[in-house]
Amino acid sequence: MSDPRPVPVKASVSRRRFLTVAGAGVTTSALLTMLDARQAPAQIRGTTLRILQWSHFIPAYDAWFDSKFTKEWGDKNGVKVRVDHIPHLELPARMAAEFAAGAGHDIIMNASSILTRLYYRSLVDLSDIYSQGGKNHGGWIPAAGPLVEVEGKHYGIPMFYILLPMLYRKDLFDANGLKAPDTWELARVAARTLKPKGHPTGIQFSQCADANLNWRSLLFSFGGAEADPSGENILIDSKEMREALRFAKALFDEGMTPEVFSWDDASDNRFLASGIGSWIHDAISAYRTTEDTNPDVFKNTHIGLEPAGPGGKRVSVSSANVYMIWKFSKNQPAAKEFLAHFMDSGKEGMTQSRGYNMPYLLADAQKPMPVIGADPKMQILQDFPKIVAFYGYPGPFTTPIQEVVNLFVLPDMFTRVARGQAIEDVMKWGVGEYRRIFAKHKRA
Amino acid sequence: MTTASLRGGPEPTARAAVVSAPAPTAERAWWGTHSAQRKIFGYTLLAPAALYVLLLVGAPFLFSLWLAVSDANVGDPVARFIGLENFRAAWEMDTFWIAMRNSVVFLVVAAIFKSLLGTSLAFLLLQNFRGKKLIRGLVVIPFTLPIAISVLSWKWMYDSQFSVINWVLSRLGLIGTYGSDSWPIWLGQPHLALAACIAVNVWRTFPFSAIVLLAGFTSVPLEVIDAAKVDGCSFFQRFRHVVVPMIFPILMIGLLFDTVFTLSDLSVVYLLTQGGPGNASKILPVLAYQIGIQAGNLGRGAAIALFLVPLLLPALFLVLRNLKRREY
Repeated sequence: MSDPRPVPVKASVSRRRFLTVAGAGVTTSALLTMLDARQAPAQIRGTTLRILQWSHFIPAYDAWFDSKFTKEWGDKNGVKVRVDHIPHLELPARMAAEFAAGAGHDIIMNASSILTRLYYRSLVDLSDIYSQGGKNHGGWIPAAGPLVEVEGKHYGIPMFYILLPMLYRKDLFDANGLKAPDTWELARVAARTLKPKGHPTGIQFSQCADANLNWRSLLFSFGGAEADPSGENILIDSKEMREALRFAKALFDEGMTPEVFSWDDASDNRFLASGIGSWIHDAISAYRTTEDTNPDVFKNTHIGLEPAGPGGKRVSVSSANVYMIWKFSKNQPAAKEFLAHFMDSGKEGMTQSRGYNMPYLLADAQKPMPVIGADPKMQILQDFPKIVAFYGYPGPFTTPIQEVVNLFVLPDMFTRVARGQAIEDVMKWGVGEYRRIFAKHKRA
Repeated sequence: MTTASLRGGPEPTARAAVVSAPAPTAERAWWGTHSAQRKIFGYTLLAPAALYVLLLVGAPFLFSLWLAVSDANVGDPVARFIGLENFRAAWEMDTFWIAMRNSVVFLVVAAIFKSLLGTSLAFLLLQNFRGKKLIRGLVVIPFTLPIAISVLSWKWMYDSQFSVINWVLSRLGLIGTYGSDSWPIWLGQPHLALAACIAVNVWRTFPFSAIVLLAGFTSVPLEVIDAAKVDGCSFFQRFRHVVVPMIFPILMIGLLFDTVFTLSDLSVVYLLTQGGPGNASKILPVLAYQIGIQAGNLGRGAAIALFLVPLLLPALFLVLRNLKRREY
């Protein structure tokens, strides 16, 4: 018979272990509660957070960001937030200066020129909030990761990107029996038809950010590519590239005037707003400018999906925007907290930017999106997240690609062809430039 | 020499004893000598200026030399010595040679126009007229305006569609209407783009040339000019043979400043064209900035920027040699 008395069991949990486990449990639950309630840890209270970013193309967005969004977050968390704005083209120089000095802002924005791979050794690993953001918001669009990922870690948070759709004058198209510019060929036919009637088209054949974006959209929609998915090998020397150059030359000859050689990023906005332009391929700031300056033209300006190339492919190269935290920042906890909060406020950002900011997070990209989902003419923009790409497509935005972009090699190839140079001569020059830059970075 | 020797008599014997006696004082250290102390005092006075030049000019120059022979980039604090690789790579770039050629054209054409306009303006400002002081103050406005603002205004004046210059020319019947072949695209046609950049550089800095020349002209004594007039010298003879030799050092210093300002003028070209269309207006400072800062390749950018030195050296040599000659 067995002894019915309970067998004394030796306690497997010591007092010390109990206290350790209990302490960790309390801390974890407190952290989870704070994260859930988006409440910052006490250590960031009384600190100052300095943010450097561009001057947004929608001034009202900056007013909201500076005096409401950051202020409310700062008041709630006891952090004093200071936001500095500079033109987006000056951000790389400022970043270089802050890196050299080892001092400056806590958070720095990259606009269009994404410098993650250049500076990642000096940036804070943000993989935790990147992953958490993806989990909370249904994941990221595929093009987001390569912007900030180096050796498996994420050194930045992609916040929003800027689309460059087709903006066309529907009244002129209708009056001349033209179809909407749903393909590059239809856009060319429209340009050829409307230029003699005083309504040419225009895309920058110059050294500006839009030229880098627009000509890549055309090239990639024609089936071309810049680098392979590893980012190591150049794919520019292709028949698709030659075809795109040939098309661009014809588009220029038939539908544009030489003024496109002098255009900057805002020239096409003015061109459309003046009532002269029949269509442009630009960010919706052009649409908004027209709304403010020429209501009659605005009424007849419609937005189209990225035109398809000869094979029906659509790739929309967009202007990426990413936020990063310097390793030298003395306020990294506050900076991370702020970026997590900013990431969670994507929809509010879209509203305040009047539909200009487009989301990388899939939940934010669900229809109907704020502003653009409610505007019949802008609803088409909701279909872009599927076809968005960035520099280097289909490869990532690597350091050599960054140099190619900053030296305007690709737009210069299109410009040379438009000016009358033979396509093979231009290919020889352009491919040579790509090879030289890639080889240099490989050596380094 | 003693009074006795002066008179021709024998030297007193006591004199020889005094001369042959050993020196009573201990040997003085070299820095204790009068001449050494004078030298030390002189170098001490010179030291702040030398230190100033060394820190503000020498150190950055040496640093840029180091960058040019290293693989430094903006994101990596550690750079390796790579010899003349950056210079070789720049040498092999098409764009570098275009930028070099444009820099020389930019420098020479701008210098010619600045000399002509600066001299004319200086002569005009030398005349007596009402409001002379006010006008002298106003002419330096282009030079003192923030460059971003003034260049932005020019950008609008050169706009392909809304250019006020084109609209005036069109109204005067000198060119066709907007969209016609004769409508100039100032920043879009290669030769016009470079010319447009040069024009803005000249507009900004020729008042500086004028002020430098004016300072020189006012330092020439009127008596000398009057004497030349009495001798029958024409205006140009007086200018060539009297005024220019007298203000030559000022002219040389003005030339040196102007050369440096023009060659290193990044802002005008960068803000107007970014070096386009298709590198037609690219100059070395813009290329160095794009490669060194925007593309993050500090070593290569520094090497390209250092190619400005051979362009500056002839001007520097000419100026210093002429100034040196005039000292004797």
